[in-house]
Amino acid sequence: MPAELPEHVARTRNGQPATVLEAISEALWEEMERDDRVFLMGEDIGAYGGAFKVTRGFLEHFGPSRVVDTPIAEGGFTGAAAGAAHMGLRPVVEMQFMDFISPAYDVLTNYIATSLYRGSGPLPLVVRGPVGGGNRGGPFHSQNVEMAFFHTPGLKIVYPSNPRDAKGLLKSAMRDDNPVIFEEHKGLYRAPFCREVLPPDDYVIPLGRARTALEGENITIVTYGLMVHRSLEAAAELARDGIRAEVIDLRTLLPLDEDAIAASVTKTGKLLIVHEDTRTGGIAGEIAIRMNERAFEWLDGPILRVTAIDSPVPFSGELEDYFLPSTQDVVTAARYLVEY
Amino acid sequence: MTTESAASSRRSVPLGRKVTEDLLYIGYQALALEAGVRTLARSGELDPTLAGFRIDVRSTVIARAMRQLPGGRGDLCFPGPLSPGPSLAFGATPLEFLRHAARRGTSAAATRSGGLTWTEYGRGLFGWGGAGGVMTQVLAGAALAFRQRGEDRAALVFEKCSAVESGGWHEGINLAGTLVAPLIVVLVAGSMGCGTRATGVDKVARSYGIGLTEVGDEPHDDLFRKIRLARAGAVDGGGPMLIHLKARSGEDRWAGHNDFAAWAVREGGFSRGDRSAIARAAVAGVDHAVDRIGKEPGPDPDDALAPVFTECDSERPWTRREPPHPHMAAGAAVEVANAR
Repeated sequence: MPAELPEHVARTRNGQPATVLEAISEALWEEMERDDRVFLMGEDIGAYGGAFKVTRGFLEHFGPSRVVDTPIAEGGFTGAAAGAAHMGLRPVVEMQFMDFISPAYDVLTNYIATSLYRGSGPLPLVVRGPVGGGNRGGPFHSQNVEMAFFHTPGLKIVYPSNPRDAKGLLKSAMRDDNPVIFEEHKGLYRAPFCREVLPPDDYVIPLGRARTALEGENITIVTYGLMVHRSLEAAAELARDGIRAEVIDLRTLLPLDEDAIAASVTKTGKLLIVHEDTRTGGIAGEIAIRMNERAFEWLDGPILRVTAIDSPVPFSGELEDYFLPSTQDVVTAARYLVEY
Repeated sequence: MTTESAASSRRSVPLGRKVTEDLLYIGYQALALEAGVRTLARSGELDPTLAGFRIDVRSTVIARAMRQLPGGRGDLCFPGPLSPGPSLAFGATPLEFLRHAARRGTSAAATRSGGLTWTEYGRGLFGWGGAGGVMTQVLAGAALAFRQRGEDRAALVFEKCSAVESGGWHEGINLAGTLVAPLIVVLVAGSMGCGTRATGVDKVARSYGIGLTEVGDEPHDDLFRKIRLARAGAVDGGGPMLIHLKARSGEDRWAGHNDFAAWAVREGGFSRGDRSAIARAAVAGVDHAVDRIGKEPGPDPDDALAPVFTECDSERPWTRREPPHPHMAAGAAVEVANAR
């Protein structure tokens, strides 16, 4: 072990605040130290340290057998990760951008997700990578991919909103015996507003449990990822008008913490769902029908949603700003719903 | 690249009594099982499309040349389009195969995923799991795990020759080559969906810088040694090997087995009585399986919704069991929803 850890995996040990990116690096590093079955696969994650430098310094410390640079072949190396997982290893696959998980759709949905059900045993495997817009990346470097996989039984989907959750959820995902897709919003990676001192202990956050980011009684806002911060900004503005919004951060999208949503909705009677993903086929539709099934009689208004518009992510900054849901969009929808 | 010609001369090194006996036994098993499956298909016990079912007996020799150890410590095999030949060589019984072919029996996987292959790591068996080429990716990953742990193990995958036309296969073989994984890929000539008839397998091997062994009409003892050599090369740091299993030139598909059986008496140290006893034992096992399969229980409906996560129960959706909330229990709408 080198005398000094790479800076970005030593924030917590040094008592410094960590960004989401640093929290993810710390989780990977600590799990690789804890469990020698864990190894990483992905494009340019070794010598280059990853497109976003999440794994900078890992190759030097853990060696090429545990930090495996792969060809540009997402389907191939995700399939290979599955084979390694069958043989007792615990691979973590990095998609350079989650937009490029699509070549691995076949192996993820047909092979990996069905493994336990088919009798081929559990498949402990994490596929992680950056998602989300706002970085002027255009249609191929900005997408949210959760709903491409949400419909597939056998997969778990995690989408953290802050450093503490990112670290604790990623550790849980790496210790889980099931395949997990782990989405990391690029807009949170190094966000100045999203840095915090993390607990020094080896903590995990269980998958499948939402958290209440803000308590309130007038309206429930269910959201995740970067939109948690937009929703909290909106809640602050609403509070100036005396509207107390409750913000639920889903953290795990699959399995969905339906109980947490229902508990909040039965308290507030109003439900607004906010996601950065596009509208049609977004998770808002699933949440709405579940609350229709479980909490219809507690609802005092229609279930509304604030989402991106149904379009590929535009490259132009002006167009992307129009495309993405804004804080003001959330405020407007929430006011309408509260006054309904 | 190394290329061995199909016509190699018989070597003086003996196979050993155990290997010879195994090859005879498995060959007779395959011969009887082929006939048994056809009979069952014609009688309606099996899918009628299996009425022309064929076993390529060379696949049993290739698989038997791998290293087989109990407890999941030996080589791995995905029998693919040549199932059950390789499965028999890895210790599967005819009854196990028929259970899967008939979607009956006690194996959960038999009724959930179906097909002519199944997974049982203890005996080194991998079941089918997706589009063409995916299993090369998965087995490449398993082979990578062997290499990382320094184990004397290899992964064997049988693919239709049409795999060389699928991008997924190329990703898998490229990855195996890049990572020097001990993977042996058998391309079966003349398989369905083979648009270009795989005429350029030698070019494929050359382009990836990996070894190629061509297999045709050679005697089974030669074939056995040839595969042993390929396996040793793969495990000893040579990386993946391609085996091109070409179509036989003669009309008699069982000529190879019959020649080997004659050789066993002539040069292998077996008496005619030994050979007959081996044949009788093999055929008796198949006869038992053919007789038994009609009496095997069908699938248990409760097993149909097996858990897709390791820690989950297989809960049915509420609309198929009971309403989600007591106040809906007597509702007509719920009765309609439950009526299926």
